[in-house]
Amino acid sequence: MVSPQRRRPRASPRLLDALREGKAALRRQREKLDLHEKVQIVLEMQRICLPLIARRRRLAEWERPWAITP
Amino acid sequence: MPSFADALRVLNDMKDSGVVEDYAVAGAMAMVFWAEPIPTYDLDVLVFLSSDQATIVSLAPLYDWAAGRGYATQAEHVIIEGVPVQFLPAHNSLAEEAIDRAVTLEYEGVPVRVVRPEYLVGLYLEPGARTLKRRERAAALMESSALDRAVLDELLKRFKLEH
Repeated sequence: MVSPQRRRPRASPRLLDALREGKAALRRQREKLDLHEKVQIVLEMQRICLPLIARRRRLAEWERPWAITP
Repeated sequence: MPSFADALRVLNDMKDSGVVEDYAVAGAMAMVFWAEPIPTYDLDVLVFLSSDQATIVSLAPLYDWAAGRGYATQAEHVIIEGVPVQFLPAHNSLAEEAIDRAVTLEYEGVPVRVVRPEYLVGLYLEPGARTLKRRERAAALMESSALDRAVLDELLKRFKLEH
């Protein structure tokens, strides 16, 4: 037997717009970061992501966190 | 420990010493200059090789120069001051224009040639190179405030590219 469809509360278009705008604002904020800070983030992402990738496949010889300062 | 600026200085040295005629940082690290930082594990550099080279493009002189400076080569990457760098000789007129029209930015006081965001999008949308990851990067760049939509539209039309 098919149960009668429950009416669930839904996000309004206005709320969705606000959420999307919030995400875009966050992106704009990250875009405007100082270049030095962005490179620092890339280096941190390498340290986080590479061990995770290494669980799925063998890393190439050059796929190592860069041994540099930003 | 070397810094990212040290690796960029070497790119300028390569140009100054004539190993390459010109260069421009492309790929994910170029995106870092224009948009949000994204994970990447190498530095892509588009190059015009020296015009006195034979018609058949060879990266051998570039690798020889790097070896002479003590930089190791690993699977088509030259490890320059701790950064794996992949040199990509310009392969078509879009790539050539991307180098010609690259902008000189500064990183920690070091000038660096960087492919403009509109050309990065174009390169990501090239038919032979369209992967999901590259399309996602093109989409992210298209939302960047650094991108000039009119320039991009003209470029996509002229090179018959679609997004």
